[in-house]
Amino acid sequence: MNACLRTGAARFDAGRRERDAVRHRSSAGYVAVTLVSAPVVAGTLYSLAAAFGLVGAGSTGWDASRIMRVIGSSETWQSVLWTLYTAGVATIIAVIGAIALSVVLQRSGVGRALATFPLAVPYVAAGLAALLLLGQSGFFSRVAFAAGAVHDPAGFPELVYDRPGIALILAFAWKEFPFLALTAFAVLDTRGAELADTARTLGASAAATFRRVTLPLLWRGIAPATIAGFAYLVGQYELAVLLAPSAPQPLSVITYERASDPDLSRRGEAHVLGLLAMTLCGALVVVHGRSLRNADARGGASA
Amino acid sequence: MSMQRDAMASGRVVAPWHVFLLVALGVVSLGPVLLLVLRAAAASWLYPDLLPSRGATGSTLGAFATPILWSALTRSVLLAVATAVVATLLGFVAGRGLVRAPRGLRELATGAAFLPVVAPPIALGVGIQVLAIRAGVGGSLVGVLIAHVIPAAGYLTLYFLGVLSAYDRSMEDEARTLGATAWQTFLRVTVPALRARWLEALVLGALVSWGQLALTLLVGGGAVQTLPVALLSFTRAGDDRLAAAAALLLTIPPALAFGVVQRGARRTGASA
Repeated sequence: MNACLRTGAARFDAGRRERDAVRHRSSAGYVAVTLVSAPVVAGTLYSLAAAFGLVGAGSTGWDASRIMRVIGSSETWQSVLWTLYTAGVATIIAVIGAIALSVVLQRSGVGRALATFPLAVPYVAAGLAALLLLGQSGFFSRVAFAAGAVHDPAGFPELVYDRPGIALILAFAWKEFPFLALTAFAVLDTRGAELADTARTLGASAAATFRRVTLPLLWRGIAPATIAGFAYLVGQYELAVLLAPSAPQPLSVITYERASDPDLSRRGEAHVLGLLAMTLCGALVVVHGRSLRNADARGGASA
Repeated sequence: MSMQRDAMASGRVVAPWHVFLLVALGVVSLGPVLLLVLRAAAASWLYPDLLPSRGATGSTLGAFATPILWSALTRSVLLAVATAVVATLLGFVAGRGLVRAPRGLRELATGAAFLPVVAPPIALGVGIQVLAIRAGVGGSLVGVLIAHVIPAAGYLTLYFLGVLSAYDRSMEDEARTLGATAWQTFLRVTVPALRARWLEALVLGALVSWGQLALTLLVGGGAVQTLPVALLSFTRAGDDRLAAAAALLLTIPPALAFGVVQRGARRTGASA
């Protein structure tokens, strides 16, 4: 009787201890999540206040003139469009490359290692390599010289700091491609071979199998990663600062320039531009979340 | 076509176009890094020369004798290690708290952890720049560390949320029932059970800090010279050789980490 009571008390005690532990753990978790997200929230609120001229360098008290100046300036929209254009073209190149290579090299370990290697190269290092490769006195220019196509660096087309942003697009694509290839390999590993083999067994030609089975499967699988990668490139600074022209400037570079503008009254504009970049990326994240859910739903249906 | 695929699968016969493709991929993937190696090794590399001339003055490793490079490297390593440790701890505690939280709260908190991951570093940096100065950490190593921890902790919260939702906690509950304290359970059960995951998390956290330029420039105000900052200033000063040396120092550690992760993945059979 006594022993039974004691066991019961011990169980109760253990149960309470565990409940306490769980509660304790979740509250520590919330503190940690708050710590993780608070700086972003605080920074965004500060940017909002600074955009309205309430705080920061050159603050004037409640006044929307900064916002109007940024939104009304054609420089801003050219910058936004140019940023979307470079990130977009690079993403298209990376998607095509990732799909093609993942299909062809699906069973090659060396191919996989090579395709994903650029992931390990930091953006600034990739940017410098692009300068040394594509600049007017870069490696390609020397090859063109050796081939007799150009006679001096100035004769080589401007691929860096240029309006079409060739070097920036290529560097973006070079860094984005391995990320998408990695995802594409994973998609093919989980379902690709099986579905393709079934299609072939049912009499589909190799071309039809690729077009009707492998390609749609790959596209659905890598669509979320594609949107995430695109959003990342839209905010990318490291490659942009090394390779982009001064007109039009990418959104990230123009934001940094305003933030360190010697004219203090213009620094508030950096906050408006920063919020603009956050809004753009936020919108893409919403699209990303949707495509992720779609991919899950379709994957669940077809599995 | 089907025969070729079977041949490739068995790994014996490889079609010539397949070899050609692998070589082309190798050139595209490794070529830019090889160019950095050549540029860092060459004391001079005048215009029309395809390769650096052999007779150039100065040693191959001459660029690495620059003290600024090593102090920048030290600072970058310190920041990466500290960021990895702090962000891993924060990410683990946050992820663990979230896994067992009620659904609504969990989604809200996951969204909150998503913020620092998706906010472009430049936009984040502009927002916290003045706050860091007000807090007395602007232009200091500590300020830059805090700035690097923000996106790293976001990533690692999401990472641990994924890891821990598949993690069986019955062992821990058993240990607690048997009278182990929370701390003992953590050290004796949780830490060993997640061994490989800790390493991955630390590598991930270090990588977020390692290549970071935007946050370092904004919060460090140019006073905290990390390797990426040094690379940028060498490039702007037209010193391609030192910039290439900095780029190589930046590339080697992640490339090694990448190799280790690949080998680990192969060993566990996660990738063919």
